[in-house]
Formats: sequence, structure tokens, C-alpha cells
Amino acid sequence: MHIPDGFIPLWQAVIYYIIAIIVGFYSIRWARTSLDERKVPLLAVLAAGIFAIQAMNIPIPWGTSGHMVGAALVAIVIGSPFAGFLVLTTVLIIQALFFGDGGVTALGINIFNMAIISSWVGFYGFKWLKPVISEVPAVFVAAWASIFLAAIACAIELSLAGTFPLTLGLYFMGLYHAVIGMVGEGLITTIAFLAIKGVRPDLISGEEVGSHG
Amino acid sequence: MHVGISQIESESGKKSIIHSLDGRIKLIITLCIIIYAVYTTKIPVLWVMELYLLVLILVSKVSFSYALKRVLLILPFGGFIALFQPFIKPGVVLYTLPLDITITYEGTIFGILLLSRLIVCLTAVVLLSSVTPIQEIVNSGRRMGFPRELALILSLTIRYLFMFYDELERIRNAQKTRCFDIWNKKTSYMWRLRQIAYTIVMLFLRSYEQGETVYFSMLSRGYSGESDMYQEKKKISLNDYLFIVLTLILILSIELIRHFYFI
Repeated sequence: MHIPDGFIPLWQAVIYYIIAIIVGFYSIRWARTSLDERKVPLLAVLAAGIFAIQAMNIPIPWGTSGHMVGAALVAIVIGSPFAGFLVLTTVLIIQALFFGDGGVTALGINIFNMAIISSWVGFYGFKWLKPVISEVPAVFVAAWASIFLAAIACAIELSLAGTFPLTLGLYFMGLYHAVIGMVGEGLITTIAFLAIKGVRPDLISGEEVGSHG
Repeated sequence: MHVGISQIESESGKKSIIHSLDGRIKLIITLCIIIYAVYTTKIPVLWVMELYLLVLILVSKVSFSYALKRVLLILPFGGFIALFQPFIKPGVVLYTLPLDITITYEGTIFGILLLSRLIVCLTAVVLLSSVTPIQEIVNSGRRMGFPRELALILSLTIRYLFMFYDELERIRNAQKTRCFDIWNKKTSYMWRLRQIAYTIVMLFLRSYEQGETVYFSMLSRGYSGESDMYQEKKKISLNDYLFIVLTLILILSIELIRHFYFI
């Protein structure tokens, strides 16, 4: 889902950059007021872990393999979409600048999709679904939706950029990520969530960090 | 990331004129080249840029096959979209294949444009990361006005990146010695998936706990919210100026030539 350089016109890339910077500003503020800014190092090391996690191949039926994004997992476990944003943004910047995974001018748009949409959908999906369908299914659906909606956004953005037609893009990106998201993100996040709950239940706050101050 | 992360780091440790340039200069030049490549819509312009980058790779003594391998490995997703263009963009039909699939002139040109842009941008990033240690790029970014928190997070992440990659390699080797294979049909699919999820949990928890430890040890050494990264003072030398001027002149003259001859 990493959009490379040259697929998004510069003026559109600037818009996504501005959105990313605004959310970034609020994330830093969140880290300062709610998380205790000094805890920022913890998120930084966690980002290194997520980086390695993204390199793990996950088998998908029919012979392809996918990998995890992890935004939903971080947002749900730490208890804030801002945490997901900070961790994923760090990962995306390093991927763009050093590995060429996702473009440099397209960094804003990739942050928009994989750090903003994924984290917020993952976190609020979980929070809103939990009372309705109980905890574990909520993790699964939220994690799946975090990838699926990011892929849909990606298809819409590419069509806005005039690079790929909308219907075809929705079909390819949507279908592919609907399947990959179910296994790679949904199932894995659910198993991971349960395992973390078993080993370090203290980590999972369940409550929104800083919602009361 | 299929080219080992440590190989990237070892390439960046070589010595050459390009390696010895100031990190800021290399970062600015890379950004200029990428932005110009995304801006231009002329294919020959992109080819000249690529040629320039190849010359830089040659001068920097970075292994050619290594650079090529890295560019090729990142190409697929974008390349796929570029290869699709001749079939989806409306325009003058060049060929009609069975099943009413048409290849258009506009689509072909647009596809080549996207692919050329992609290759130029990828070469630029590969060159940057091959001639500059990752940490130095972040330090340069901080000197150029990256926000303090962002630079701090990035530099800490990079420090632990290699550690967790090694960790991942170790886990993979351990799994391999036990004949674990994600495609092995003799075990149930859910079981395999669970093993992978546990590995991911392992990495997640280890990085989380490492993060806690790092945080506490930084705290006990006087780290506070106002702490900033130590910056070694570095002067920009004549070589640096020369290099940046050369690149800007090149971009400017390409743009001028294009302006007068192409349109």
C-alpha cells in the first residue's frame, strides 16, 4: 500500500503533507500532556519493533503472502490513536528515506493512509464495537477495517491523482486488502491481542489514555 | 528490505568524495532531485537525471549490482500500476488485443513516464542511503529544523532497528532449524498463523519492554522533556557548496533546455 514517488501530483502531495503535519502537531501535544512527554522514548523503541514485525511474512491462502501494518495493534494496546500515529509515522519516514519503500513526496499521503486512517479506524472501531459485539470480535473487525479502509482511501487517492481509475482501483485494492486484511491484520492482531493480554495484562489499558486529563 | 539492512549500513561506511559530503547537502540534493522528477512531465529529462545519478553512484564507489538490486526489489507495486497504464488510459488505440483489450498511445507514454519517475526517485533514495549512515541523515535533518521530538524518536528508533532485525533473524533461524515453514501444508493453517502471531507478540513485547528500560535508564541519567540531541558542530566545506551548486545548475539547465527546445 506504500504509494511511491511520482504517482501523486506535487500540489496534492502538499495537501496530504499538511494534514499529516497538523495531526503530527496534535500527537506531540498528546504525548506531552497525556503520556508524559518523557515516555516518547518508549514509543520510539516500539517503532523499531513494529518495523521488524512488518518484515514478517504472513501466509495468505492462494499462495500469496502479506505483512502486518500494526497501527491498530499499537493504538488498541497503548490505548490511543495518537500512539499508533507516532509509531507508524516513524516507521514510514524511515522506510521512505532509507529503503525507498513508499515515496518521499508521497510520505504525507502514506502517513495519511497507514498512520492516520489505520490508527483512528483501529482504535475507534475497537472502542465502539466492544460494547456491541464483545472484546475479541471487536479487535478482529477493527483491525481488518483499519487495513480495508486505508486501501479504499488509497484507491480513491490514486484516482484523484489521475493515476489509476476508481472502479478498477477499488476492485483491485479493495478486494486484495479485504482478504489480506482479514488474515494479516485481523487474525494476527486478535491472536496478538489475546497473547499480550495473557502475558502482560497491565499493558492493555482498554481506556483511552488521557481522555480525562 | 530483502537486501540486508546491515549491508545498506556497510555500503554507507565506504569512503569517497560523495560519502564525505555533509549530510545536510546530500539530503537537500536528494530532495531537489526527487521533487524535480515528480514535477517534470518529460521523459528525456528523467533519463538525463537518471544518468546523473548513475554517474554519482560510480563516483561514490557504491557497488553497482547492489544498487540495481535494491531499486529492482522496491519496484513491484509502483511498477505494476505503471505497466497497467497502456490498457486503462483512454486515447489513440495502437493495438487491439483479444477480449477488447486495447493498448493506447497516451497510456503507453504515461506508463513510461511513471516508470521513469519511479526509477529516478528510487535511485536517488538508494544513493542517499548508500552514501550516508542512517543516523547521520537524521542528525542532518535535525540541524535543518526537524522538530525536536521527531528527530529524537527517529534517532532512537534507528538505534534499535538493527537490534530487532537481528532478533527477527534469530527467531527465523530458530524456526528454520525446527523445520517451521509458513507454507508447510502438513500443519494446519491456523496453527502456522498462531506461530507467526506469537513471534509478532514476542517482538512487540520485547520492543515495548526494551522501550521501558531505555526510558527509565534515560530518566535516571537526567533525561527530561526538554532534552535535545547532541549536535556535533560541522561546517559546510567548499566541496559541499560545489556539489550542491553543480546539481542545481544541472537541474536548472535541463529545465531551460527543455523550455526552449521541447515546447
